[in-house]
Amino acid sequence: MAKFTLQSRSALERYIMSFDGVTLKEVADFGLVSIAAPIGGEKKLIQAVKKSYGCDLPAVGSSDVSKNSELRMLGLQPGQWFAFFPHAGDDALSSVSEKLGMGGYYTDQSDSWAVLEISGERAREALERICPLDLHPTAFPKGAVSRTVMEHLGVINLRTGEDTFTLMSARSSAQSFLHAVETSIRNVI
Amino acid sequence: MSTSNRLNDGLIDRSRPMSFSFNGKIMGGFEGDTLASALLANDVKLVARSFKYHRPRGVFSAGSEEPNALVELRTGAHQEPNTRATVAELFDGLEATSQNHRGSLKYDLMAVNDWLSPFLSAGFYYKTFMWPKAFWEKLYEPAIRASAGLGRLSMEVDPDTYDHGFLHCDILIIGAGPAGLAAALTAGQAGARVILADEDFRPGGRLNSETLEINGAPGHVWAEQALSELNALENVRVLTRTSVYGAFDHGIYGALERKTDHLADSSGKPRQVLWRIYSKAGILTAGATERSIAFGNNDRPGIMLSGAVRAYANRYGVAAGKRISIVTNNDDGWRTAIDLTAKDVEIAAVIDTREGSPKAVIPGASIVMGGRIVDTRGRHGLTSIALSNGQNIPTDCLAVAGGWSPNVHLTCHQRGRPVWRDDIAAFVPGEDLPVGMRVAGAANGTMTLAAALRDGEDKAITVLGDLGFSATSPLDLVAQDEPSDIEAFWHVKESMGRCFVDLQNDVTSKDVSQSHLEGFRSVEHLKRYTTLGMATDQGKTSNVLGLALMAATSGKSIEETGTTVFRPPYSPVPIGAFAGRSRGEDFRPVRHTPSHSWAKDQGAIFVETGMWLRAQWFPKPGESHWRESVDREVTQTRNSVGVCDVTTLGKIDIQGRDAADFLNKVYANGFAKLPVGKVRYGLMLREDGIVMDDGTTARLGENHFVMTTTTANAVSVFRHMEFCRQCLWPDVDVHLISATEQWAQFAVAGPKSRALLEKIVDADFDLSNEAFPFMGCAELTICGGTPARLFRISFSGELAYEIAVPTRYGNSLAEVLMQAGKEFDVVPYGVEALGVMRVEKGHAAGNELNGQTSALNLGMGRMVSKKKDCIGNTLSERDGMNRDDAVRLVGFRPVDRSAQLKAGAHFVSRGKSAITENDEGWMSSVAYSPSLGHSIGLGFIKRGHERMGEIVVAADPLRDAETDVEIVSAHFIDPEGERLRG
Repeated sequence: MAKFTLQSRSALERYIMSFDGVTLKEVADFGLVSIAAPIGGEKKLIQAVKKSYGCDLPAVGSSDVSKNSELRMLGLQPGQWFAFFPHAGDDALSSVSEKLGMGGYYTDQSDSWAVLEISGERAREALERICPLDLHPTAFPKGAVSRTVMEHLGVINLRTGEDTFTLMSARSSAQSFLHAVETSIRNVI
Repeated sequence: MSTSNRLNDGLIDRSRPMSFSFNGKIMGGFEGDTLASALLANDVKLVARSFKYHRPRGVFSAGSEEPNALVELRTGAHQEPNTRATVAELFDGLEATSQNHRGSLKYDLMAVNDWLSPFLSAGFYYKTFMWPKAFWEKLYEPAIRASAGLGRLSMEVDPDTYDHGFLHCDILIIGAGPAGLAAALTAGQAGARVILADEDFRPGGRLNSETLEINGAPGHVWAEQALSELNALENVRVLTRTSVYGAFDHGIYGALERKTDHLADSSGKPRQVLWRIYSKAGILTAGATERSIAFGNNDRPGIMLSGAVRAYANRYGVAAGKRISIVTNNDDGWRTAIDLTAKDVEIAAVIDTREGSPKAVIPGASIVMGGRIVDTRGRHGLTSIALSNGQNIPTDCLAVAGGWSPNVHLTCHQRGRPVWRDDIAAFVPGEDLPVGMRVAGAANGTMTLAAALRDGEDKAITVLGDLGFSATSPLDLVAQDEPSDIEAFWHVKESMGRCFVDLQNDVTSKDVSQSHLEGFRSVEHLKRYTTLGMATDQGKTSNVLGLALMAATSGKSIEETGTTVFRPPYSPVPIGAFAGRSRGEDFRPVRHTPSHSWAKDQGAIFVETGMWLRAQWFPKPGESHWRESVDREVTQTRNSVGVCDVTTLGKIDIQGRDAADFLNKVYANGFAKLPVGKVRYGLMLREDGIVMDDGTTARLGENHFVMTTTTANAVSVFRHMEFCRQCLWPDVDVHLISATEQWAQFAVAGPKSRALLEKIVDADFDLSNEAFPFMGCAELTICGGTPARLFRISFSGELAYEIAVPTRYGNSLAEVLMQAGKEFDVVPYGVEALGVMRVEKGHAAGNELNGQTSALNLGMGRMVSKKKDCIGNTLSERDGMNRDDAVRLVGFRPVDRSAQLKAGAHFVSRGKSAITENDEGWMSSVAYSPSLGHSIGLGFIKRGHERMGEIVVAADPLRDAETDVEIVSAHFIDPEGERLRG
């Protein structure tokens, strides 16, 4: 009966912009699934993750990468992780829950977040204007992840490289978030 | 000016001349000058008028402590009042004007105040402008305001931008003078992450203004070497032009960096950055500020601090006068005479208030030991000084050396109290410093060079040890300790004329004693009564002198007298810097609904609800009033079908073995037995029994629920439930995560809503009333396989659904619903129509759930379970919440149907006057009902449920209206609920 189809939109229309020493771009086509361990079920969940992805459920503030390097598990709060991976379809939830089975509680977050990647030798200098976290490599090494607030917006900040950070913020305020990060870059470059 | 006061040498770049103007007159200076040094170089003595008496004033200091030389910098919208010329870095094209005068600077009409000064002493305003009371606001206040204040604002929007930022370090070192540089070198070489902040554009502190040597080279040369070494260290960050203005909790400091104030143009970059600096430890090396001595007419242009006169000569290559005199109570004053003599500047006299033999040979100068200045002359600039011994000395500049006060300001920001040291006649930091802070150098009372360098190094070594670093090798700095003896001397009692204590606020020694006579015995009272130590300079050069005079008047010691409380900021911070980017449309972030871009294309009018922008209504061509649009949207929805984006409602994903039990506890009504595939209305109470929020919760699986909250309470309900989960019942197996942003959700309401949805749900889903009845829910696919959730719930009272798809499809779903609904004459409706329909249906919303109403008030008392334990049910049983005359939510309609009801009106019985004693309740929501053709309202009135048909008065004294209204059922439309079950 259905003769209508729905068109998918990314939060920021695949924004990308290069500045002198910094590149800012939207990360689109990703899966983001929250994983929570039932009380008393953490061990079993860890085993399932190990078996399916070959990585750990990392401690809060850190992340671990799957054996095939495609998926990153973020430790965000006691008993809660986010699985973050490239994924174009709208079935990210089942792709995780089918692998990990009944051992955890899963919620699709793929449409909840707008994701930006800021990279380049001056990325940290720009982030100084907006991010309260200490991003010095000794305090926030590669793989570190933290929730924080930037310009009134909740943000998850993940360091994926020496000069590369993934920033996630609520999808509804994506435009304000982009504007805030872009302003931080323009204010220093 | 033809006469130049330039000397040789100085730390200015003579290869880079600059031109600037003061009061329209073009003059020249060099890179490295401040506006003050350039003015002095051009022999400009008179630069300002004082606050109260409009006395002529000149440059007094050479730093951020300046009380006198405040000017308006730049022009037009960029004009900045009250700028201290002593810290304003010269740039080519700088424009400055003097402020606080009527008529010209030289012939200020307001100078009449000076002649009236006998009447204008401390407390003048309090005493004079008391009677008659009728004059307070109409005459006195406007007149006083017109003459108050110093500079003028441009009254235009500030065209500059400002930014905030965050920095982190192991050790923050505040001040890059000798102690700060020694500390920074020690800490930097040890590998600690160091931030060295200095308010000057040229770090070095007093080293730039003195001729003292370190390691056999001039101090400023060593400072330059130290800085280049520090700049080469990756772990050290040097912030110049940066004032650390406050010491806050946990080692957090506030700092203002002036990024472009020294440039003619900001080139679109933020003018200033307000930094929040997180430190593990702080070393305060903020140096000391020189102070004055109170003698007759000690405020004339040309009378300056001795250290400033030295700074202008040594650093800027400027003689502050052609025949300079010095008055001092300490050895430091003699250094001014020595340095100026070395530069061939004529010294007229050195007057030392101490007895004994002269401290140096100053050729050609009269030396007066035990001398007292009693008066000075020269209206627009000093011409001579008179001594108590009858001597009259012609001189055009008097350098006053009253001793140095350590800059203890930041040590007191957490209520620390400084302590008095007689040997240096100054307050030094007390024991109770902000956590992690140490103080070194002159700020700590270590007033001489070699000792300050050592102190800086030692404190750094101690701090490094605390933080687990070890210092590498000693700095081995070679320097001398210069003579620094002092004998406190404050006030020449035999003075002729007024002795100024606080130059900025025109507070004299007489004001201090008068304040004491009138009973203001606490130093805090002295400050408020006389204004001593207030305004932009916060009394940096005057506080200690004022305290000393107060102590002398009261017969107490200075220690007993104490200081006023030092509070941030240390030096002025523009409000724009505090605001940062939070202005205009960037004041707060904006949240867009998933169908925002579609709604915009439809010409929707948007309304802010919290941070959300929601479509309020969708005007059609020809509609000239918002109500035409809203009435149409309501009517069309009730007749056919309407669509509204309701994504803003909070959605919370709840999973866990104990999820049903958990909901049963957080909701007042039962949830344990809700079947899978069903939705239930839930009422959430606070612990005190007042309603917190309401919404619907759907059971998607045995252990999986989705809760909706009101838009306004999405965050607070989530936070409340996290508190319940983590703190009240830590053993329950429940996990919560917000799904508000995940799903784009639309209300599809009206008799044709089922027919519309049948066109988009995939074939296998049965939407019939039997298969999917009222309060059903399902996970399904639509439009050929897109995952969706469908809820049969109704806020409008119609047959209605809410359909949700992943947010990425939200905008597209709005378009598809419109396309598919074309044959039913579908209409998009906004929050205004949504509100009208819920009022018609009698549903409570934010206006009714206002944090003061209980379930009983809302007519839902019976929903609160007595059988189970849930939050709020115990305290909702209190007598006071179950009074017989409690207000009840009911409907109201005007007796005269053409009358318009107003929310906020209060109800009184007919025949009673509209006063608080007769208040029986209030109107909470009103709407024009297009379905009924008149205005309707919801409201709370005592025993409302028992008073159907009674006519009361809706009194609205604020808007001057009294309307007769009839109490009716809140359910104006379909009271039996046949439509929504159909």
